[in-house]
Amino acid sequence: MRIVVLTKPVPDPASGGERLLPDGRLDRANSPAVVNGNDEYVLEKALKLIEAAGDGEVILLTMAPDSAPETMRKALAMGATRGVLVTDPQIAGSDTVATTRVLAAALKTLEFDLVFAGVDTSDGTAGVVAPGVAALNGLPYLSYAASIDPDEGARTVRVKRITADGYDVLEAPMPALISGTQALGEPRYPSLKGIMAARSKEITTVSLADLDIDPGSVGLDGATTKVVDSRRPEARGATTVVREAPDEAARQIVALLAERRLI
Amino acid sequence: MAGIWVHGEIAGDGSLTKLSTEVATLARAVAEQLGGTEVTGVVIGSDPAAPAGELAGFVPKVLAVTEPTTADHAAGMIVAQRLAALIEAHDPDIVMTGAGPEGRDVAGALSALTGWGVLANATAVRGEDGSPVATHSVFGGKLITESGFAGGKGIVTVRPNSVTPEPAGSAGTVEEATATGELQQPVVPVVDRLEAETKAAQIDDARIIVAGGRGVGGPDGFGLIQELADALGGAVGATRAAVDSGWIPYSQQIGQTGKIVKPQLYLAMGVSGAIQHKVGMQTASTIIAVNRDPDAPIAEFADMIVIGDLVEVGNALLAELRARSG
Amino acid sequence: MTTASRAQGPFRLTDEQQMLRDAVRVLADDRVVPRAAEIDKTGEFPEDMRRLLADHDILALPFPTEHGGLGGELLSICLAVEQLSRACATTGLILAVQELGSLPITLAGTDQQKARWFPKLASGEQLIAFALTEPEAGSDAAAARTTAKRDGDDYVIDGSKRFISQGSVADLVVIFAVTDPEAPRHERLSAFVVEVPTEGFSVTRLEHKMGIRGSPTAELAFSKLRVPAANRLGEEGDGWSIAMRTLDRSRTGIAAQAVGIAQGALEAATAYARDRKQFGQRIGDFQQIGAMLADMDAGTEAARQLLYKACVEIDAGAPDASRWSAMCKLVAGDTAMRVTTDAVQVLGGYGYIDEFPVERMMRDAKITQLYEGTQQIQRLVIARTLLGKAD
Repeated sequence: MRIVVLTKPVPDPASGGERLLPDGRLDRANSPAVVNGNDEYVLEKALKLIEAAGDGEVILLTMAPDSAPETMRKALAMGATRGVLVTDPQIAGSDTVATTRVLAAALKTLEFDLVFAGVDTSDGTAGVVAPGVAALNGLPYLSYAASIDPDEGARTVRVKRITADGYDVLEAPMPALISGTQALGEPRYPSLKGIMAARSKEITTVSLADLDIDPGSVGLDGATTKVVDSRRPEARGATTVVREAPDEAARQIVALLAERRLI
Repeated sequence: MAGIWVHGEIAGDGSLTKLSTEVATLARAVAEQLGGTEVTGVVIGSDPAAPAGELAGFVPKVLAVTEPTTADHAAGMIVAQRLAALIEAHDPDIVMTGAGPEGRDVAGALSALTGWGVLANATAVRGEDGSPVATHSVFGGKLITESGFAGGKGIVTVRPNSVTPEPAGSAGTVEEATATGELQQPVVPVVDRLEAETKAAQIDDARIIVAGGRGVGGPDGFGLIQELADALGGAVGATRAAVDSGWIPYSQQIGQTGKIVKPQLYLAMGVSGAIQHKVGMQTASTIIAVNRDPDAPIAEFADMIVIGDLVEVGNALLAELRARSG
Repeated sequence: MTTASRAQGPFRLTDEQQMLRDAVRVLADDRVVPRAAEIDKTGEFPEDMRRLLADHDILALPFPTEHGGLGGELLSICLAVEQLSRACATTGLILAVQELGSLPITLAGTDQQKARWFPKLASGEQLIAFALTEPEAGSDAAAARTTAKRDGDDYVIDGSKRFISQGSVADLVVIFAVTDPEAPRHERLSAFVVEVPTEGFSVTRLEHKMGIRGSPTAELAFSKLRVPAANRLGEEGDGWSIAMRTLDRSRTGIAAQAVGIAQGALEAATAYARDRKQFGQRIGDFQQIGAMLADMDAGTEAARQLLYKACVEIDAGAPDASRWSAMCKLVAGDTAMRVTTDAVQVLGGYGYIDEFPVERMMRDAKITQLYEGTQQIQRLVIARTLLGKAD
């Protein structure tokens, strides 16, 4: 079974260094990149499926303006088979429309049974790229998966989609595109074996020209949206620190709740 | 400006979602700022009449489109296709959806089908100089950005709990239609519907949330959290650490990979307040934390932090609350 | 006169090296730190730590992939030793000794010998020790007296070795013995891999040491110990060269241990300086303490960067590998001693008691100035390289 996993490098949420350049693009030099959190969950699921089947491939597909695939290395160290990186400096500042187009075009060059994507990304939380890629490529789209069960023999896949009341169980023929959530299960830490093995795993770079995409139609120049302003959020105000014994502390909490009409 | 459209989502029980009423309220405000441009609601489903009627309480006109396949197929892609066709026919400039799972699926597919850009996860939208400007909180809340569309048209997805829903002065009209034409995208059947194992109170709209983190120590510890939530009339939330450890279901998770909530009170017990969690609750009106560590990140943005053992403080608080009401 | 660098390009850790370092650090924080004090207190070899390293493939780092290893280059091995030593010097030493002991086989063994011994070493099922030092042959290792006399298809070894790290828990011991007493000084010795237990091999003594107390330091005695000729590494007379080439690589492991110990001490001292308040403020804000911490940090970082650079140069085949390995071990060992002593100082009275880890770290640090060649030997190596160069 071949599973393509769409992964996005995002600024490390824990780093605190994220900021925008004057033109609205992310200043990537100021914050280290990590694999988007949700992507790790679907990647883990893909790895588990391949391991259970005993054979198969997990192919990472990433779009990035730079050719330093550090985040791909971690995903390869987790156990992915190989990576495909679509890169071009012009990609910087791409909006979701461009991202969707580029990934959809790159996907067309690959053979696969399933495509996995995280439901959204920690840097944009848009959640619109996965359904967009499915629509552009005419793939059945199953979203918000809490579980993914492929049936290789029948060439179908079943997904439990998270709803407000529980789950809808969806079924579609392969190939299909599935967006997955954290409910799929915690991703593994790369083992030392995996880390060392990643050194020799293949990352193929693909240019926009290879995909017949005009560089002017992506990146800042081609963007359908533009950042007009950015600012730091307002501070919340001083924090009251209470160090008293539990009974007194509880009284102070209740006083605050009463003051703010919460009880 | 030839009109703002509001996508009305249908909940599991067939009614209109609260999120859609929020989006509709916002759409009206934006329309006013843009010189009184038209606002139209669109509800697409197998039984759209009732939710369309509800939406009509918020916008002057609603298109109720009957699309039978959504009864037992994944709706997002289907709705998007029908919406795309309607857009072609009626030529609105802006489509607003909720930024929950349904809205995002629709927005994403619609964007691909139309080529329109998306301003995603807006916490506010205003009309300025003839076009919408959306406010976003990005990088885990470290930065607030404002964005607009480069061209004239686009899709806006609106974050839950950003706007208080306000019905319009008078009820709008509902125009019924039936979707026609073949669906080009594959349809995905729903072969079963399962109810959640635990019927925990929904945290999405909860006015008060009591959350437990790593400090709770185990599933039993959440008993205290539940008692506090009950005493305060709220819901139980959790951090990713607690969920990943299996102490509480994912449906209660608050944070970057869980839910973003905006309650009036967020009582955080044993929650460190790391950025991935902070993102999910930092806009709560009042944040009170109980933690043994005075240097926990949550101390920087809570309104009050009690340094102490969460079990001791929690029990003392329970006693106080019960004494008050008893 | 500048160093001609073999390694190309500006130096930075690769993505995999960073991942490896972080993975070992997480493991060390999680599983090794809680055991460190107890290991020192009981002085028992930590079998659980050995199993931990084996289970996580850490012991596989020095070995080639075709024999079940991870094919780690010198820097990767040192990154792992450093992170482990930061938590517990004894545990870091388990990996360092596995590398030290197997290097003679890597450098001089035949393919069959490697295929024979490496798999179980890589899996961590077996441990290997390096037996060069003798009671009368420490710094002057060439003065070894242990003999190996050819007898048919075997050699018969008689003699003793002292201060052999892990000599009592190893399954394989690399013994350097005199095969030709008449040969020139550096051609007298040969190297043999002895599989133990075996008749004629005994552990006669375990030392009670100042530090690295969980690492058993053994005196070994050999009495008519038979070892097949097939277990000889390289040719007769190659022993000295094998030993020196081994140390040229393995000294980086000790430097890594030293850097790790220093880092652990720095972190402990810094945490203390942040929390401890005297005269109404945290002591870290007093200039005397702040200055100490600053020097500790700068010194540790300098030792670390020199170590990393040395590893890269040695792996790139630098002709002055001896100089690089001697330098990094010299600097790191002295730095560790200085940093740990200062760490005790920062903690004041609390630094002297075993409730805090810094006194252990100071005791652990001292050995890095002594074994795998004393600091004086390191200086000798460096001076010779300098002075030996033609004008």
